[in-house]
Amino acid sequence: MTTAGMRRGGIVLTVLGLAGLIALYWMCFFWVSTEVNQGVVQRIFYVHVPAAWTSFLAIGFAALASGMYLWLRDDRLDRAALCAIEGGLVFATLVLTTGPLWGKIAWGTYWTWEPRLTLTLLLWFIFVGYIMVRNSTEDPDKGKRFAAVVAIIGAMDIPFIHLSVVWFRSLHPEPVVAKPDGPTLPGDMLVTLLFGVLVFSLLFFGLFLFRYAVEALRAEADLRSRSTA
Amino acid sequence: MNTYLTQVWAILRKDLVLEIRSRERIGAMCAFAVLTGVLFNFSIDTTTVRPNEVATGLIWMTLIFGGLLGVGRTFHLESQDGALQGILMSPAPKDAIFLGKLIANFVLLYVVSLLVLGVFGLFFGIDLDRNLGWVVFVLGIGSLGFVAVGTLFAAVAAGTHLRETLLPVLVFPLMVPMVIYGVGAMTPLVSGRPFTEVEGNVRMLGAFALAAVAAGAVLFRYVVED
Repeated sequence: MTTAGMRRGGIVLTVLGLAGLIALYWMCFFWVSTEVNQGVVQRIFYVHVPAAWTSFLAIGFAALASGMYLWLRDDRLDRAALCAIEGGLVFATLVLTTGPLWGKIAWGTYWTWEPRLTLTLLLWFIFVGYIMVRNSTEDPDKGKRFAAVVAIIGAMDIPFIHLSVVWFRSLHPEPVVAKPDGPTLPGDMLVTLLFGVLVFSLLFFGLFLFRYAVEALRAEADLRSRSTA
Repeated sequence: MNTYLTQVWAILRKDLVLEIRSRERIGAMCAFAVLTGVLFNFSIDTTTVRPNEVATGLIWMTLIFGGLLGVGRTFHLESQDGALQGILMSPAPKDAIFLGKLIANFVLLYVVSLLVLGVFGLFFGIDLDRNLGWVVFVLGIGSLGFVAVGTLFAAVAAGTHLRETLLPVLVFPLMVPMVIYGVGAMTPLVSGRPFTEVEGNVRMLGAFALAAVAAGAVLFRYVVED
């Protein structure tokens, strides 16, 4: 895809995502029924869970792109990994903001060492580590390789972190969708949640394409300035 | 296969001989570990917490901090006078170099961790008579997992201009499983529970260590290539 095509795709997906976000907010404030036990506060769930889903999608995507970058050495793959990481950082920040807001009311405390909250915090730090490594080398190619290694090791460590923090302590509401015997979430809540996941994924890929187009332009400008110099 | 082992051994021997002659890293790490124990002692309010109950956690924290101190300098000596280029140009494959470095770091950290165990046992009154063999075993697996991640990222950090400052940011988030399973296995062991109770934790610790060694051996070549 050309850079202009990327940008157009980015605009389309982002606009769709933003429109979807408005619809999602409408659904989550006016349409979906209030959860019996938790009350109104549970509605943050439709933002929190899709954001979490997106940030884990981002690290998986980035690790895949990084692995392929190390193999094929195509700068486009590295750019894709960087853009996914930055998007993931944004969505992980959303999770870490909405989680404690909900926790304060539902659990009575902003922070607990609950497994999935802890995992997201560590994921956030892996994203930050990726960006720090990348920006702290003089040779950009070295930074790309180092960052790719960070993304791959980070993604590999996630199952271990997950298992260990679950073993350590569990306070978080149990999963309500991805379970062996099918979802237990009431119909309208499930619809709102899945719609939220769709909206956040669209937004993520929209922002991703935008960011990717910027990186592609930067690479092009670099090349041009080098060829004139 | 034999040449491969010879190559690993060559790197390992070089690092160990250098360390035995200079005693640079081991000295700093041991002093650090003991002094950390002293400081931890004053950070515990003994009227609310029994020191021997938190001691196993402190042992693992000391291992991580002290390990970072030593492992972070893995490539320090080689970064001078282009020595790293020399090693990389040798016919040894990159993963043999990584494994040699890793085992050298492991020996170093394991010695320190045994010292930490002894000193903290003394400082915090841990009962080491029970399950000493298993405790030493668990410390060994934990050290292996730590040096595998640490050695790889020491190579990464050495290539950046932030150097060792970057290391904690990269390594600490990844060390969470090691701390959880390590402490989870060691606390019951020192309070006299049988090994079968903590077997699951030790298995996970071992899986973590193996995955880290394998990933490091595969990815190291991409870190040092030029």
